[in-house]
Amino acid sequence: MHEFLNDPVDVAVDFSGLKVRPQRVRWGNHTYDIQKTNLVHGAREGTKRIFYFSVSDDANFMKLRLDTETLEWRLVEVYAV
Amino acid sequence: MPSEKIILHIDFNSFFASVEQQANPFLRGKAIAVAGKGKEAIDVHSIEKKGTRVRVDTLPYMRSVITTASREAKAQGVKTAMATWEARRILPSLLIIPGDPRKYSEISSRLMAILRRYADAVEQFSVDEAFADITCASGGDYFGATLLGERIRADIKRECGAYCTASIGIANNRLLAKLASESFKPNGFTVVPPEDAEAFAASRPLQDFCGIGPRMVKRLESLGVTSIETLRSFPLSRLTHEFKSYGQFLFDAAHGRGSDLVSDDARDPKSVGHSYTFPFNLLSHEEVRKNLLSLADRVASRMRKHGFASTHLTAYVRYDDFSGTGAAKKFKEPISDGLEILKNALVLLRPFLEVDRGIRLLGVTASGLTKLEGGLPLLQKEAKTHSALRSLDKVTARYGTGTWQRASTLTTDFKERTSGWHYDHET
Repeated sequence: MHEFLNDPVDVAVDFSGLKVRPQRVRWGNHTYDIQKTNLVHGAREGTKRIFYFSVSDDANFMKLRLDTETLEWRLVEVYAV
Repeated sequence: MPSEKIILHIDFNSFFASVEQQANPFLRGKAIAVAGKGKEAIDVHSIEKKGTRVRVDTLPYMRSVITTASREAKAQGVKTAMATWEARRILPSLLIIPGDPRKYSEISSRLMAILRRYADAVEQFSVDEAFADITCASGGDYFGATLLGERIRADIKRECGAYCTASIGIANNRLLAKLASESFKPNGFTVVPPEDAEAFAASRPLQDFCGIGPRMVKRLESLGVTSIETLRSFPLSRLTHEFKSYGQFLFDAAHGRGSDLVSDDARDPKSVGHSYTFPFNLLSHEEVRKNLLSLADRVASRMRKHGFASTHLTAYVRYDDFSGTGAAKKFKEPISDGLEILKNALVLLRPFLEVDRGIRLLGVTASGLTKLEGGLPLLQKEAKTHSALRSLDKVTARYGTGTWQRASTLTTDFKERTSGWHYDHET
């Protein structure tokens, strides 16, 4: 199943220097341990800077959106095997 | 300073599809294709505003084309620019993914940054390919150039991801460097030293040369030229008689010669245009007006963003049967307002617009670009419009494209396209 959505999620992150890496995502009643960050890319919405994290565990791909102005995380894409 | 230049050409393999496979490991090894209608508009409006979800396998991809196929899909016959329905007919298991221009834009920027780190000059040729002059950076020899190419490849792997592979070609001119990079894919590395240039050029088919398209190949075949060998034996005088200055290009290409100029100067755009293929035919003048206004506003907004106004406008239409027509007009006073562009586009299209035939595509292009003057117009009405536009541009700069919309276009919904590349989500 491959779906686009826009659900608020809680994300635990690891800081390493200037890098942020998601470690755990809580979506609804489930918690997912992130095993790999495959790609990080940024975008601008006006003056606002947005970061997208493409992450995965053994069975799921998730694309997380971080709004650097509100520091809000959203789950915007899911691919489950 | 070495007497002969060393030019590197680099080209990402199956670019959009490889980036998608880099981001999502579950797509790797699968036949996937990136299609034209981008995800930003397919889902974001309804998902964000209405909280809906969009399942990718239910997207219709109406009148959409494959912008990139993964290497696995290519191996099974799916090609770039193929209609999505045709691609699915060839390969029913094909996974079609809506494009994500922001992601591709960032990877493209990373490639250019890597090249600029090493090269003397870099010229971006398209979103996924570039030329680099590495004459000095390589020490002027092909051993140094090969080492430099390997370092660039290692940097791409580290900064763009292992799945984003690129083919590299190195030669003493652009034509051969591009020919070399395209001779071995994916992840190829082909070096053509000057002493091998003629032999290498002779080993490639005519249609592989940048600048010799399918129509030219047919024309050459009608003259008995079917290979580089036969092109070489064709007299230059006959080539220039037949093709004018292009004949000289053909003659040089046949001998592996070409320009070695790599320019990293940022050039001003020559035109700004937008066209759109609608998922359903437009059948009324009102629909045409609304959609044309949205296109005109996009053109105007982009022009103003880069500080330009237009003195030349072209509007065109394509009907359901793929026939089409267009017209152009020049102005004495440059324009940069979407409403002005619309009014002129309608005047251009009105004489031959046949909405009963069903309109599948509309397009507006502004050219003859001149720098915008900073002062306010003298007439009060124009000054008000000018002031409103400046305020709207500030809103766009602060909050992004799509923040404001004319009331009359509220029902117009364009889907972002990857095929036309993106323009309003700079990274």
